[in-house]
Amino acid sequence: MKKPFFLWRHLNKLRWLTLILVFGMLVLLPFLHVYQTYIAAHAYDLLTPDEKALYDTMEHLTAPFVSDPETQLDAIKGTTWSGTFGKLQLSDPLAVLGQMAASLSAYWPFLLTALIPVVATLLFGRFFCGWICPATLIYELNSSLSALLHKLGIQTGIRRFDRRLKYLVLALGIVISAITGSVIFAAIYPPAILGREIYYAIALSGFGAGMVFFIITLLFDLLVSRRGFCRYLCPGGALYSLLGHFRLFRIQRIVENCNDCAKCSAVCEFGLDPLHDQFGQECNNCTACIAVCPVDAMTFVVRPSDTPPQGPGHQGKRYRREHVASNEGDMT
Amino acid sequence: MKRRSLLQQLAFSATLLASAGALPGLARLMTPEARSDPRRHLRPPGALSSDDAFVAACIGCGLCGEICPPKCIRFHQRDGGSQVNTPFINPEEKACILCAKCMDVCPTKALTETPREKIDMGIAQIDRAACYPWVDKGICGACVSICPLGERAINFKMWNQYRPVVKTGCVGCGLCVEVCPHPSLPIRIVARELGTVARHTIS
Repeated sequence: MKKPFFLWRHLNKLRWLTLILVFGMLVLLPFLHVYQTYIAAHAYDLLTPDEKALYDTMEHLTAPFVSDPETQLDAIKGTTWSGTFGKLQLSDPLAVLGQMAASLSAYWPFLLTALIPVVATLLFGRFFCGWICPATLIYELNSSLSALLHKLGIQTGIRRFDRRLKYLVLALGIVISAITGSVIFAAIYPPAILGREIYYAIALSGFGAGMVFFIITLLFDLLVSRRGFCRYLCPGGALYSLLGHFRLFRIQRIVENCNDCAKCSAVCEFGLDPLHDQFGQECNNCTACIAVCPVDAMTFVVRPSDTPPQGPGHQGKRYRREHVASNEGDMT
Repeated sequence: MKRRSLLQQLAFSATLLASAGALPGLARLMTPEARSDPRRHLRPPGALSSDDAFVAACIGCGLCGEICPPKCIRFHQRDGGSQVNTPFINPEEKACILCAKCMDVCPTKALTETPREKIDMGIAQIDRAACYPWVDKGICGACVSICPLGERAINFKMWNQYRPVVKTGCVGCGLCVEVCPHPSLPIRIVARELGTVARHTIS
């Protein structure tokens, strides 16, 4: 029996860790900015006790890393929509696409900021959706809530739609951006909304209009369709799926180990069907199916296309009935 | 039979389009109209001169606000209409200190790096019917002493008169508006073509 590399099974934990880390950074950065504004104002004595507490906490947190917080903390700024790490600027490919559509022109330095994400997506497919997107953390917790409610006997949404709908949303968004001359994706793309709204809530006056939109998508996921926004509507997911069509790193079922238990298909957040080798371009390499598989039948492979359907798993009842039982007689 | 399948297809495409269009529609519904007051909604320094071009270039990432030391950059919210999530500065609350960090960090160069003297956020305009020294209600000079551009931008009318006069070197950062002690703010940032002295027309 082929054994998958033992670490793949633990990637899902690493994924949760990165999701929490990214979300944590989005919460921490606004606080750091507020701290920087307090330093810039040179008026510690005029701060209220709450503000002083924030100042002291942030000073405590950052003191080991920076000597001049007012300027050195500028090194890490922004959200997953667009951010800076020192000299490196990174932007969401969807932001670049939307901005090109809105201004009907291409600004090269900005295009280059999406280069690393695009290359990574070409290699790893829709990994952003599973590993980085700050909204994914909330959406997956929402899915868990949905599963919990389901256990308690409360019906939640399990409706399914056509997965190609999101490509239409992407196309329509580009057209609307071009017509109105504003980047519409910024208003409907959950990670962009969430990154911004967290900043508004912490550093400025509170949540804005985007939060209402985000809560509506959460309710849609809970009441209408599990993980429905990401599966059927997200324009970013559509773009990443298209880019990740020929991704090199993908998950594959080892048919010799598989026992047809179908846990992989049940756990798949994106409603794909790993049991029948149906990954397609929309798999986000989240590795939940690897982690859940009880017989080590899921692994990572390096190849530019999925394997064609391999039939029932060799440890499953159906395969045994059809092949093994006839050869070796009664297995009991 | 053929007509029926055609109708079905039409209905199907209409449903598809409606469900795909529901998202932008919903987003638009939440930000109904643009009610920006040009005196309270200045674009940050270095903004593209045409506001349409600025809105098209801005991706609403919020980096300019996140790096702003005085935290003067705010963002259009529910009442922003198509300008939602684009930055503005309200000098009556908090004014720009011309540190140029926002221009450095802007990924799309909707805020373009501009030398300090070339920035054009507007120009300060003084209402001489309200300003304390101009109506002889005391000596002030707060606007002159705060100005980061110095004599090129604002100065006293004559030596020791305390009456401020704005010059064309003003870039409209709005610090004078922030410090003006007069409750009705006789100094404001307006579009450059409106001039540096408020006109009172009798209508």
